[in-house]
Amino acid sequence: MSVIDRIFEKAKTNPQRVAFPEALNEKMMQAAYEAGSEGCIIPILVGNEDEIKKAISERGYKEDVFRIVDVNNEDYKVSLIEKYTALPETRLKEKALRRRMEDKLQYAMVMQAVDEADVTFAGIDYTTEDVLLAGQMIIGMKEGLATISSIGLCDIPGYEGSEGSLLAIGDSAVCTNPNSEQLASIAIAACDTVKSLLDWEPRCACVSYSTLGSGQGELIDKVTEAVRIANELRPDLAIDGEFQLDAAINPAVAEKKVKRESKVAGKANVVIWPDLNVGNVAVKLIQQFGHADAYGPMLQGFRKVVCDCSRSAPVSELKGNIIISAVRAAGEKCR
Amino acid sequence: MSREEILSQVLEMVAMSYKKDVSELSETTSFKTDLNGASVQMVALVSEIENELDVALMLADASACETIADLVTLIEEEM
Repeated sequence: MSVIDRIFEKAKTNPQRVAFPEALNEKMMQAAYEAGSEGCIIPILVGNEDEIKKAISERGYKEDVFRIVDVNNEDYKVSLIEKYTALPETRLKEKALRRRMEDKLQYAMVMQAVDEADVTFAGIDYTTEDVLLAGQMIIGMKEGLATISSIGLCDIPGYEGSEGSLLAIGDSAVCTNPNSEQLASIAIAACDTVKSLLDWEPRCACVSYSTLGSGQGELIDKVTEAVRIANELRPDLAIDGEFQLDAAINPAVAEKKVKRESKVAGKANVVIWPDLNVGNVAVKLIQQFGHADAYGPMLQGFRKVVCDCSRSAPVSELKGNIIISAVRAAGEKCR
Repeated sequence: MSREEILSQVLEMVAMSYKKDVSELSETTSFKTDLNGASVQMVALVSEIENELDVALMLADASACETIADLVTLIEEEM
């Protein structure tokens, strides 16, 4: 069974409520319908009720697969505003919030913030920037983290790592040039993400062109400082480095190059790149030469699971990412 | 509301969001070089401005402001 099939099966054991603010989009509705009718999620379509019902009927879907939230229902809107403004971490007051809720994306996120939904999934019409900014305004960032970031999950044919053919990598999509503090946040968030999604015990390597001081310079200092900060903030997590990639994931190389105890060296299941130049090139290398399937990017660092997708994503990819985000949300509730 | 009145309120809000003394701030204070703020502080500031000045701001527009003066100009435009 492939990793994505395993994730689909896991989703069915505890289906989460996923809010779709781009409900009318044909591809998004189809992906929501497929994921909902297979029992992986409970899809909530957020928008104008009449328009949504008309589209469901025209497209030949069964209406009872969906829950529909009508953004014009004033009573429901008022109840959301009351609950949201009562949250301790809330900054927006009623009038400002009401104005922001005119936007369906932010409306859906308010639902999520007050536990009327478990995930907000968007990005087919909205841009990544829209999703990231709305997430920061409405959901907010996780306590103690310095940046929003992302990880991807690679399934690499022929790779025999500590999790078989799977390797989690980050950040290859969001945080362009993290400082040490931000890099530490990316590593910490990545550990939490793989734990909630895959039940892995994370072993996270911060990689560089040097292994434990074999090279020197400010590019390496940034990584070693990030490891120090991450270990100080979360001593419960196995985050180590700086390692070269081979020393991080290959036990034979680690034995030669890492001359001290490490829970991570040679058996890392999470690899953190020093910046987005490396991250983006690396993921393309893994895809092009390793012929890997790469799932994600999974956004991390928000208080709750917010998911963005590519605007050109086909339905199958949308469905996969919707279900991944639902499993993450279920996993975060258990933590 | 005059520009001076907006500025005076914005200075108070910046001081609160960025945990600075208001006496350290002026129109020429740079968000990047002087305040060295993270995006979470800009989120707090935009929320405060929306609540108190009854104006809708895009977080991206506010984040693009170099100085406090730029932010005041943006607020004036949106009012």
